[in-house]
Amino acid sequence: MNYIELLDKKPDLVTPGTSACQGCPAELSLRATLKVLGENTIMCIPPGCMAGAGCVGWNFDSGLKVPVHITLLDNTAAVLTGINEAHGRDVTVAAFAGDGATSDCGFQSLSATAERGENVIYICYDNEGYMNTGFQRSGSTTKGSMTSTTPVGEVGKGKEQQKKDLPLIMAMHNPAYLATLSPSHMSDFVKKMEKAKSIKDGFVYLHIFSPCPTGWGFDGAKSIEVARKAVETNIFPLYEVDHGEYKLTVPNKNPKPVSELFGMMKKFRHVSEQGIQDVQNYVDKKYKTLQALVGQE
Amino acid sequence: MARDFITPKGDEGIYQIDTASWRTYKPVMDKDICVECGICLTYCPVNSIHKENEKYIIDLSYCKGCGICANECPKKAIDMVTEGDK
Ligand code: SF4
Ligand code: SF4
Repeated sequence: MNYIELLDKKPDLVTPGTSACQGCPAELSLRATLKVLGENTIMCIPPGCMAGAGCVGWNFDSGLKVPVHITLLDNTAAVLTGINEAHGRDVTVAAFAGDGATSDCGFQSLSATAERGENVIYICYDNEGYMNTGFQRSGSTTKGSMTSTTPVGEVGKGKEQQKKDLPLIMAMHNPAYLATLSPSHMSDFVKKMEKAKSIKDGFVYLHIFSPCPTGWGFDGAKSIEVARKAVETNIFPLYEVDHGEYKLTVPNKNPKPVSELFGMMKKFRHVSEQGIQDVQNYVDKKYKTLQALVGQE
Repeated sequence: MARDFITPKGDEGIYQIDTASWRTYKPVMDKDICVECGICLTYCPVNSIHKENEKYIIDLSYCKGCGICANECPKKAIDMVTEGDK
């Protein structure tokens, strides 16, 4: 079955009507994730866009067609551990959490779960902020971004710090498998998700880039285009680490300048040339690190 | 659905909202231009596009009218038309 047939034929385990914004790629990623992971899965979704969109349900209704727990922002990975202990490994135990819940609030339990090598899958969808509570910045927000807590005016110039590189931080925990995924590269996405499901000997961390039309300020029809641009500019390189082996799954020999991504949305509209150059330098340096890890300097 | 583990409460009811009512524009596919590549299907966030009898079709029951399918179709076979127009 190729990836298009898979996405067409596998049962959609998410409610048909979620309240995720028009054009939200996190909704696409969650549906694709569960098409691959399948019915024998227990999900944990902490507060965030996907929980708020009704995927954890309301009152007596569920938002998924598999068991789903709404965890706390700070204990998602610990809950995965407990569920896995209770059920053993024939069930897939997975989290689908935002970047705030992952890189900030839930990092302690995530780091500990990775270090213990628990047999669970932790998936982060990275929309670079606390989007469902009104677009506050997170550790994963790109430098220069205008958010409600890094406003732009006479004094403020957007977020002052560079993006926390969570995938690489997690790679340094030596997980059994780690990968970065983008909804713009669906064949690569499905392949990595299938691999994640097949891992039986340790912790799996997946990081999905998830542009937010409402919070970043672009037309929802362009969500996939923006995600693709992030890959083409190396802002979000696609790679995997399979038991310590680094591999660029979508090598990018001629990266486009980051300014091409910056020009696509409102959150970067105010950023000066120097501001763009700062991010360009950071992205170039990060990519060099990655190439060194892959072993192709 | 038979499961080995626990049965979610949702089996009693799945939470869903009428997202079709959000639409201002709806996607209309021109079957003569479409080359059946399936790209639109892979990107629809709402799972509204499927292959039936070797043809791709758009089911509007939950389609939010986001326009991703129209934007991504390499053949420009999908048009976003104002809801209510033909
Ligand atoms: S992307 Fe365009 S050409 Fe391809 S199946 Fe969809 S409508 Fe047809
Ligand atoms: S307009 Fe959006 S929701 Fe509707 S079919 Fe196209 S991609 Fe899917």
